[in-house]
Amino acid sequence: MEKQNDKKVHFSFGEVFQNTKSFIDKYNNRQTQLTQKLNANHRATAELIIRLYLKQLNKAAQIGDLNTNSLPGFSTFNESLAKCKGCTKRTIINHKERLKQSGFITQDEHRGKGGVEIWLNREVLGTAKLSTNYGDNVLKIGDATSIFYEKAKNFHPLVHEHQEQLNNNSSVNKSGVPYGHESGKATRTKHEQDKNTEENANPASKRQEKAPERHCKAEKQEQKPGAGRIFLLSLIRQFWDYARKVLYPDLVLSEPEDREILNLIWESVYGKLQSNATEKDWLKYQDTAFNRVNMVARWLARSPGHWIPKPHIYFHPNNERNGFKKTWQWYVKQETLKIEIRNQLLLQQVKAEWQQHEQNKGRFRKKTRLQLFRIQQKRLAGYRDESLNQAYQQCLQRSLHLQNLKRKQQAYAQ
Amino acid sequence: MLSEQMQREALSKCIVWFYDGNVRTFYSLDKTHKRAKPNQALGIRRLEKMLMETFKGQWETAIVYENEPRGNELARFKRGARV
Repeated sequence: MEKQNDKKVHFSFGEVFQNTKSFIDKYNNRQTQLTQKLNANHRATAELIIRLYLKQLNKAAQIGDLNTNSLPGFSTFNESLAKCKGCTKRTIINHKERLKQSGFITQDEHRGKGGVEIWLNREVLGTAKLSTNYGDNVLKIGDATSIFYEKAKNFHPLVHEHQEQLNNNSSVNKSGVPYGHESGKATRTKHEQDKNTEENANPASKRQEKAPERHCKAEKQEQKPGAGRIFLLSLIRQFWDYARKVLYPDLVLSEPEDREILNLIWESVYGKLQSNATEKDWLKYQDTAFNRVNMVARWLARSPGHWIPKPHIYFHPNNERNGFKKTWQWYVKQETLKIEIRNQLLLQQVKAEWQQHEQNKGRFRKKTRLQLFRIQQKRLAGYRDESLNQAYQQCLQRSLHLQNLKRKQQAYAQ
Repeated sequence: MLSEQMQREALSKCIVWFYDGNVRTFYSLDKTHKRAKPNQALGIRRLEKMLMETFKGQWETAIVYENEPRGNELARFKRGARV
């Protein structure tokens, strides 16, 4: 973070290193695949760059005036970086590529014999605008949305876990399948599951065997803390009715096709209803789903060149290219932006209040500084946003620091 | 022409009235591969594709039924459009 002391800029190593660490951590959290994450080696390169860059900057600040709005880039040579780190030049080039991909390096310029110049993200140097965009925005949107975390690859457990073999052909415990499959209607082989099990042909024996299973199922349903199954299935139907009305107004579908699409929606949009969210959360999620449909409708209306595939493709869970799944990213982006703007406005208001309070103006002029702090803290706590609180603290520290500086300057002038 | 076994196993069938006076019955192929689980919606989609692409402009009416005795009507097409 820069410190203005007698108009001289100074970058503190500790804070910038912390920013670097949190930047890389944040980037890694966003990545789903292990190969896309930045590893310890990349971190080391980033820290090396930061260390040398700050050294350059602080030296430049001592010699002349440095403008924090347009900082010079980090001038170096790939060879010297490689020598410092004890690796080859190629490794440095590769690491730079990865860091550029992650947004840590914003720009780089090759100057042949003159070496390279690298510009780093302003967020890392602490010269960027106060951002309230910490943490996970998906969590802020709602609990049921956790089904949209893309799962990383399932690694085999280190210790062998003994598991009962699941019989995929059995209809038992497939309580998740909502339409058609349970009754065996789609396959038309209602008794097929029992054919290959060497069971007694006597139906009474089957009854004896199946009864405890049904009991288990009932127990499982009782234990499940989330919303009721019928309620959840009705949500899926509502969603499809709405999406059909908005996105496919002229589409005529037969019952089996309808059922197939409902199954696809159950899987791709509602994550097989595996989340243990409450009814309230699901309703909230339903609103987000409707919002996403509206976003798609707006996008379609924007240009005649925009199109979406047929519903069985559009809602297919494996459709990564042009499926409904992608709208989740749009939605998160939109909501993040909304939250960010709201937080920026709140911070602006807070800043203005402090400035007015200092000049004995505004509605809080009769309050003490502590009272004003408490009032603002209470107001911001109402939003239940940890990142907003953090940004508030930073904003407060900055404004207090500026006040101190002003006082010092005044004292110095006198 | 599908084998008799495949005709029996099909989940839906499509009766097509052609402009030239012919009436033909087509049976759906409901599996993506030999051992796949039959998917009736897929079969209907394939029949629709056949009507709209292979026999484009050659038929007047086509009706898709469940492949059962007294099977329900699933889809109806008239002069190149689904109704």
